Amino acid sequence: MLKVESLAFGFPGRTIGRDVSFSLASGEVMCVLGPNGGGKTTLFRTILGLLASHDGKIILEGKPLDSLSRPEIARSIGYVPQGHSGYFAYTVRDFVLMGRTAHMGIFSTPSKKDFEVADRAVASLGMAHLAGRPITEVSGGERQLALVARALAQEPRLLVLDEPTASLDFGNQVRVLERIAGLARTGIAILFSSHDPDHAFLCAQRALLLAEGRALEIGAPREVIRADTLQRLYGVSVQVLPLAGGGHTCLPAIGG
Amino acid sequence: MISFALGNQVSANVETVILQVRGPRVLAALVVGAALAAAGTAYQGMFRNPLVSPDILGVSTGAALGAVLGIFLSLNVLMIQLLAFAGGLAAVGLVYWIGARLRGHDPLLALVLTGVVIGTLLGSAIALLKYLADPYNQLPAITYWLLGSLASISPRDLGVAAPLALLGLAPMLLLRWRMNLLALPDDEARALGVDTRKLRTVVVAAATLMTAAAVAVSGIIGWVGLLIPHAARLLVGPDIGRLLPLAMLLGAAFLLAVDTLCRTIATIEVPPGVLTALIGTPFFLWLFALARRSW
Amino acid sequence: MRWLVLLSLSFPSIGFCQAAIVDASGREIRPPAKVERVYAAGPPASVLVFAIAPDKLTGWTRAMRPNEAQFFANQYARLPELGRLTGRGNTANVEVVLKAKTDLIVDAGSTGATLASLASQVQEQTKIPYALFDGRIEATPAALRSLGRLMGNESEAQKLADWYENELKQAKQRMSGVAAHPLVYYGRGVNGLQTGGAGSINVEILDLLGARNAAGEARAGLATVSLEQVILWNPEVILTTDPNYWKMIWDDARWRGVKAVAAKRVYLSPNLPFGWFDFPPGANRLLGVWWAGKLLYPQAFADVDLRAKVTEFHRLFYHREPTAAQLDAMLGEPGVLPK
Repeated sequence: MLKVESLAFGFPGRTIGRDVSFSLASGEVMCVLGPNGGGKTTLFRTILGLLASHDGKIILEGKPLDSLSRPEIARSIGYVPQGHSGYFAYTVRDFVLMGRTAHMGIFSTPSKKDFEVADRAVASLGMAHLAGRPITEVSGGERQLALVARALAQEPRLLVLDEPTASLDFGNQVRVLERIAGLARTGIAILFSSHDPDHAFLCAQRALLLAEGRALEIGAPREVIRADTLQRLYGVSVQVLPLAGGGHTCLPAIGG
Repeated sequence: MISFALGNQVSANVETVILQVRGPRVLAALVVGAALAAAGTAYQGMFRNPLVSPDILGVSTGAALGAVLGIFLSLNVLMIQLLAFAGGLAAVGLVYWIGARLRGHDPLLALVLTGVVIGTLLGSAIALLKYLADPYNQLPAITYWLLGSLASISPRDLGVAAPLALLGLAPMLLLRWRMNLLALPDDEARALGVDTRKLRTVVVAAATLMTAAAVAVSGIIGWVGLLIPHAARLLVGPDIGRLLPLAMLLGAAFLLAVDTLCRTIATIEVPPGVLTALIGTPFFLWLFALARRSW
Repeated sequence: MRWLVLLSLSFPSIGFCQAAIVDASGREIRPPAKVERVYAAGPPASVLVFAIAPDKLTGWTRAMRPNEAQFFANQYARLPELGRLTGRGNTANVEVVLKAKTDLIVDAGSTGATLASLASQVQEQTKIPYALFDGRIEATPAALRSLGRLMGNESEAQKLADWYENELKQAKQRMSGVAAHPLVYYGRGVNGLQTGGAGSINVEILDLLGARNAAGEARAGLATVSLEQVILWNPEVILTTDPNYWKMIWDDARWRGVKAVAAKRVYLSPNLPFGWFDFPPGANRLLGVWWAGKLLYPQAFADVDLRAKVTEFHRLFYHREPTAAQLDAMLGEPGVLPK
């Protein structure tokens, strides 16, 4: 689905990351972990084609990314950004409808099919009752879910979510992670970043540890998320504990 | 011709008034009102700010400078209108050109700031011309032009301005749904498949074309481009797909109503800009008080 | 110096010392003993000062263009440009006025309270007496006399005032037998849709000549009207000062139905070196009285020799008679006189 080879990325005139390579298959979930400023968002924006890559290759569904037009990319990849301050009070339905743009002609207005796809996306996230509510009047968690719905309306094969659980309460965090796992089961490849290593344990098959723009390690969460890698990544001492049911969890050591 | 249509004798003068004077004036009010409202709607969406008017990039100030220069040089009506039209286009062209060269800044912010700066510069040029103008003859003419008026619209004015305005309105109507995505942060809009830079350029070009054409024949009529999109948004919400046609209709109707008052309220003409503010502001406040939704 | 002035005030004397006068704004003006250099703060004042004593004028408010300068002797045409002072549009630097060693500042035109206070202010600043005069045509003889007294040129001023008064009397006499007073529309601006309302100084000549101002319903001052309104009024004669408007009116289908246009009674006022009709609003408009008289009342003014009138006015007020070629150019320009 997605193949990244020796990718160097950054801003015009400033490279902040190098030698990142990985591949992602349909239905696979990969979690990118790393400290603030480590390059997660920049990496995602480069994969989406919003920033030009500095070196290396990005292959999306067998085609090089820079050979694809914006609408073509938008029909493959759905982007769920961090947070969203609404400027205007679009209804949740109209907001999600914007995801259909790549499937519409330049001069078109949404068709019946577009409305149906958007409504289905809203319903699939349990937000049907909010469809008519202005996006400026829903809670933070609901807004985040609306962003996911909009990305789903694109009917993408890959979803890229940038810290989807940031600034959500615990309950909403859990709900979002559940959706991610559920979406993967439908065959969508998922790439998401998080500030919490536990999220990788909870729903990812692969984890990428990104520090200072370099991929520290890539692999299954239980293999790469260890006390020593976490120490290198975050500079704090953490214990990784196995759980009875077969999972793992991180327990930071807060000195007393 | 009208005699034929009405089936009885109509004096030649009445026919002149209807076809040559009142008719073009009414049509011009509709076209100018629709154009200003449409431009305001587009810009408010594009700049993500409900306080934006069509003049934010300087089209009205540029047109005013062109016209004032024409009056200062004692040129005839056609030249004054041409200079106004050219001035409007040139001002926005300059703003856009400079704004595009300011790298490393948010493109919208660069546009707005450049627009403010260039608008101020052009405004000071207008002030200088007013200062140098002959106070008995040119200065009153300049003042009247700046106050705006539909009183002198001729069929020729309409014949030139209307197609130009429609040339700007057409792409905007076609792209109206897509313009919604300009309200999103640039990254998101691009990720959804929109070439934001190209779309913005088209929107600005279309808005400038129609506003310059409108201002060239009617002078500066304020508030329509600012208040009407608001009022329309309070009625149908921010979706430009629904908003644009309604704003155009409301703008056309509003300016026609105002112009009718300008013409009938006294023997002499009242400047439309005065009435649009006097009528529009309380009407808008009333609408705002009634409405439940936010922008 | 001051005691001399005070002394002169105690004698109601003429000739030897200049006496104080009360100007048109009600302020008492005490000139210095000798007035050699007079600054005219606007074109109407320039006309008055230049007529009375051209050598005492320090400069023009705006440098003369070649087509204006041709009517004046070289040394006068080339007087320095000093700018305007108060009222509509200051461009003169008060320091420039001081540097030009001015003895007296004169302005003519409107005389409202604002202008009076501005004049007093400049007078305070510069210690130069600042006199305001009424610019209306009928007030011109009185203005000439007062100004002559201030400047110490009473006899010259008296001659001009008497002549001017006589001219106005003659014009009015011709009016006395006239029965039909035409409806006249004065169109300003490039569209012809600005006009002067009832009693405004812009249409003073119409009021003087007893013509009916089509825009008489409008209040005094400048006003914009719509074309429909003019069609409704249906004036018999249209006068204008804008050559663009005069040219446009013949090709414009919208104006065709108006009586004046159909009868080809649309006229363009000459404007060199100072306008004949509306602006500048000063003594120069006497020529406009004769010109408009001939156009509005062709029989009553039939034997008025306009060329002679122009020649005489220029001789007295501009101190130079126009040449035959200049007269031809002025009166022969399209629109000035009926074909």
